[in-house]
Amino acid sequence: MPAFLLSIGYERWILNVLLLLPMAGVVLVLLAPERWARWLTLIVATAEFILALGLWWAFDPASGGMQFTTSVPWLPEFGIRYSIGMDGLSLFMILLATAMMPLLVWGSWFAIDTKLRGYYALLLALKTGMIGVFVSMDLFLFYCFWELLLIPMYFLIGTWGSANRLYAATKFVVYTFAGSVLMLVAIIAMVVTVGKGTGEYSFAYDHLVKNRDLLAPYAPYLFTAFALAFAVKVPIFPLHTWLPDAHVEAPTAGSVDLAVILLKMGTYGFLRFAIPFFPAFALSAPVAAVFVTLAVSGIIYAALVSMVQPDLKKLIAYSSVSHLGFVMLGIWGGTVESVQGAIMVMIAHGLSTGALFFLVGMLYERRHTRLLSEFGGVARVAPLLGTAFVISAFASIGLPGLSGFVGEFLILLGSFGRYPIATTIATVVVVFAAAYLLRAVQQVFFNPLVRDENKAITDATPRELAVLVPLIAAMVWMGLYPQPILRRTEAAARRYVETVTPYLTPGLRPPVTAAVGEQP
Amino acid sequence: MSPIDLSVPAGLMLALLPSLVLTAWSLVVLLVIGWRHGTEADSRRAGLLSAVGVGLAGAATLWLWTGGARAAGVSHMVYLDGYRFGAELLVLFIALTTCLLSLRFMGRQRLIAPEYYPLVLFATIGMQLMVSASDLVLIFLGLEVMSVAVYVLAGFDRFRRSSAEAALKYFLVGAFASGFLLYGIALTYGATGHTNLGLAGQVLAGMPDSGLARVGLGMLLIGFGFKVAAVPFHMWAPDVYDGAPTPVTGFMATGVKTAGFVALVRILADGFPAFVELWQPALAVLAILSIVAGNIVALAQTSMKRLLAYSSIAHAGYLLVAVWAASPDGHMAVLLYLWAYSLTSLAAFGVVAAVEHVGARTVRIEDLEGLFRSRPWAAMSLSVCLLSLLGFPGTFGFIGKWLIMSAALERSQVVLPVLLGLGSLVSLGYYLPVIMAMTMKPERTPEAHRQVLFSQAGKLIIAGAVAAIIFLGIWPRIPMQLGRSTVKSMTPSATVAAEQP
Repeated sequence: MPAFLLSIGYERWILNVLLLLPMAGVVLVLLAPERWARWLTLIVATAEFILALGLWWAFDPASGGMQFTTSVPWLPEFGIRYSIGMDGLSLFMILLATAMMPLLVWGSWFAIDTKLRGYYALLLALKTGMIGVFVSMDLFLFYCFWELLLIPMYFLIGTWGSANRLYAATKFVVYTFAGSVLMLVAIIAMVVTVGKGTGEYSFAYDHLVKNRDLLAPYAPYLFTAFALAFAVKVPIFPLHTWLPDAHVEAPTAGSVDLAVILLKMGTYGFLRFAIPFFPAFALSAPVAAVFVTLAVSGIIYAALVSMVQPDLKKLIAYSSVSHLGFVMLGIWGGTVESVQGAIMVMIAHGLSTGALFFLVGMLYERRHTRLLSEFGGVARVAPLLGTAFVISAFASIGLPGLSGFVGEFLILLGSFGRYPIATTIATVVVVFAAAYLLRAVQQVFFNPLVRDENKAITDATPRELAVLVPLIAAMVWMGLYPQPILRRTEAAARRYVETVTPYLTPGLRPPVTAAVGEQP
Repeated sequence: MSPIDLSVPAGLMLALLPSLVLTAWSLVVLLVIGWRHGTEADSRRAGLLSAVGVGLAGAATLWLWTGGARAAGVSHMVYLDGYRFGAELLVLFIALTTCLLSLRFMGRQRLIAPEYYPLVLFATIGMQLMVSASDLVLIFLGLEVMSVAVYVLAGFDRFRRSSAEAALKYFLVGAFASGFLLYGIALTYGATGHTNLGLAGQVLAGMPDSGLARVGLGMLLIGFGFKVAAVPFHMWAPDVYDGAPTPVTGFMATGVKTAGFVALVRILADGFPAFVELWQPALAVLAILSIVAGNIVALAQTSMKRLLAYSSIAHAGYLLVAVWAASPDGHMAVLLYLWAYSLTSLAAFGVVAAVEHVGARTVRIEDLEGLFRSRPWAAMSLSVCLLSLLGFPGTFGFIGKWLIMSAALERSQVVLPVLLGLGSLVSLGYYLPVIMAMTMKPERTPEAHRQVLFSQAGKLIIAGAVAAIIFLGIWPRIPMQLGRSTVKSMTPSATVAAEQP
C-alpha cells in the first residue's frame, strides 16, 4: 500500500486535496439542483474519506516531525506562507473529521428537509475549516481557518437548530470570538517580537517555536491570550456555558461535528501552540496548578450536572466537558503516556459521543422529545437502537475493552506521578460517569414500556445502521487493539514531551512510569 | 515623466490635472442640467454624465501615477507621490459609486433634482484637494469646497424634516470645526512663517518648545476630530448620517473620512514630526474614546443607518490607531484600511438604500428581517460587508485590521491593539443581530420586501465590491505591494527641501 501511494505522489498533494475538495463540493452543491444536494455531498464526502484513508498507511510512525508538507509563498513580503503539514497528533483528527463526513450526510438524510443546498454547502465548508486548523503550519493561516469555522457553524445552529436556536448560535459565536480576538493580537505581537530579535518576520510555526526564548519575557500575557482562545473551545470549566446550549439547539450533524472535531481544536491548540510556545510559563507550578484544578473541577462539575439532567442531549453535552477535562489533565501530565492518553481520549470521545448524539437525533426524530422522563422500555421495541446506545454509553464511561478505557487509563497512569491528588480524584469521578450514563440508559431503554407513543417507536433502519455500525466497530477495535493508533501517535507525543520536559517544574517526582520495573 | 517643477504655474496645473479635469467636467454637467432638468430621465443623464467625468479624472490620476510623476524640489501646494494617487483614486472611486448608486434611489424617493450630481462632483474636488495638498491653505480650501457641497447634500431630501435637520446640524458643527482648523493654521503660520507642511515642519524641528505651534497643533487636531467624527467630537454624526439620503450617508461616511484622514496623516507626518510626543498621546485618547464609545453606543441602535454611523465612529478610532503609529507601516495601514472600509461601507449603504421604503423615516434593523428568503443575494452581500466591517478573516476588512494591529505593535504599543480587538468583539454584538435578522428570522409581513429595488448599475457595483472584499481578503498581495510602494514614495517635502542647495 505505501509503495502504491508513493508512486502516485500521494504525500505531495493529499492535504491540499483534502482542503480543496470540500470547497469544490460547496460550489457544486450550490450550483446543482436542490434534489441533488444530498447525493453530491455524499459523493464528495465519501471521496474525501477514501482519499484521507491513505494517510493511515502513508504516514511514517517513526517520524515525530511534520509530514506531507506543502509550503508556498502567500504574502511573502509579510512573512506569510501557505504551509501545511501534519504529524501523529493531526493524523487522527483528520481521519476522524473525514470519516464522520459521510456519516453526517447519512444521519441528516431525512432529518433535514428544508433549504438542503445551504445545509450541505455549510457542512462541507465546515469540513475545510476543520482540516485547515489541524494542518496549518503558519499562524496566519491557522487563525484564518480557526475563525472561518465559526460562520458555517453559526448558520447551521441558527437556521436548522431547534426552538432556542438564535440564542444558542449567538452565544456560540460570541464566546468563541471573544476567546480568539486576543489571540490575533498575541500572534502579531509574537511575530513582531521574534522579527525584531532575529531580523526575520515570519508567521511560520517552526520559526516561532525555534525562537521562543525571545518570547519568554512576555510569556504570561501571550500565553493567556492563546489559552483563552483554546480554553473556550475545549471548553474548560468556567468557560463552558456555551456548549450545552450549542449542542442542544444544533441539528444532529452540528452537535456531532461540535463534539467530534470542534472541541478537539481547543486541546489540539494547547498541545500544538500554547504550550510549545511558552513551555516555561505554561508548565510552571502555579499555572499548571490552575489548569489541573480547572480540569479536575470540570470533570467533577460536569459529572454532577449530568446526573440531574432531564434532557438526554444536554446530559451527553455535559459529559463532553467531563471527558475534555481528562484530556487537559493528560496534556499537563507531561509524560509520553499521559499525552498519548490525551490523544486517545480525543479520538475515543469523538467516536462514542458522536454515536450518542446520532442516537439522540434518531430518538428525537421518532418521538420529538429528548426528555428522559418521556421515554421508557425503548429497548423492547427497538433492540438495535438499544444495543447501539448501551455500547456507546459503555465506551463513553470507559469500560475496559471499549475505546474510552485505553485513553483514560493512560492519562491516569501518566499523570499520577506529577499530580497524585488530582489524578486520584479524577479516577474516583469515573464512577460518576457510569452513574449518569447508566441512569440515562435505564430510563430510556429499560424502564417499563408504559407509554403508547414509545410502543410505536420503530427500530433502526438500514440507513441508520450504516451510521452506527462503523462507529461501534471502531469503538470495539480501539478498545481491544489500540496498538496501531498508539504506534502512530507515539512519535508526536514523544516530541511534545521532549519539548516541554526541560521546563517541567523541578522538585516534583519523576514520572512514575519511568521507574516501573527499576525499583528494587 | 520628468520631475515636475511645482513652483511654476504650468507644473502646478499638471500636478492638479485630475482636479482640473473634474472641475471642467462639473461645469459641463451644470450646463447640461441648466438645459434639461425637468424629468427623472434628465436626472439620470446628469448622473451618468458625472460618472463619466469621475472616470476621466481617474484616468488622469492613473496617467500621472503610472507615468511616475514626482516633484522637482519642494512639494509646493500639492504632493506628487503614490500615497496621494492611491488616496485620490479612492476618493474618485467613492464618487463614482455614489453617482451610480444614486441613479435609481433619487428617482424612487421622488427627488428629481439633477443639481445633486454636480454637488457630488464639487465635494469630490474638495476631497481631491485635501488628499493632495501639501499646504495648509490648500487643505483648508479643499475642506471648505467639500464641506459646503456636503452640507447641501445632507439636506437634499426636502420631503423629510430629518434631512433638513441633518443639514443644519452638520452645517453648524462644520462651521465650528472650520473655525478651529483655520485658527490652527493661522497659529502654525504665526509660529513658523510657512504654510507649506514640509517647510513648516523643518522650522518646527528647531523650536520644539513653541507654545504657539502647540496651540496650533491642538486646534488642528480638534478640527480634524470633528471632520472624521472621533469621540468626543462626534455628536453630529449619528443624526446627520441618519437624516441624510442614504447614498449621501455612504458618501459622507467614506469620502469625508478618507479626505480627513489622509490630510491628517500628512499634517502630522510632514508638518509636526517634531511634536510626535505631543500628538501621539492625544491621538491615543481620541482613539480609545472613539473605539469604546462608538462600539458600545452602537449596541443600542435600532436604525440601520444610525448603527452604521456609530460603527463608523468606531472605525475612525481604529484608523486613529494607525495614524498614532506614525510609521510607514502605519501610513500604509491608514490607506489600505480606508480602501477596505470604503469598499465595504459603500456596498453596505447600497444594499440599505435599495431596501429603504419610499418616504420612510429610516431603515430599521427589523425591516431587514427575512431578507434572505426574498432577496438572497442582497442579504448575502450585506452579510459579507458586515463581516468585513467586523474584521473577519477572509475579508479585506481583516487585512486592514491586521495591518493596523501590526503597525501599532511594531511601535511596542499593546493597549491600542488589544482595545481594537476588544472593540471588534463588542461590534459583533450589533453586526450579528443584523445578519441574524436577515437570514434566520421570517419576514414580518409577506409584502415586506416587495419594494426592494436595485438598479442594474447598483447590482453591478455591490456585486463587484463584495467580490473584491472576499478576493482581496484571501489574496491581498497586490494592494499590499502597492501600499508599500506608495508609502515608500512618500518623500516628505522637508527632506526634499533639505537636499536643495
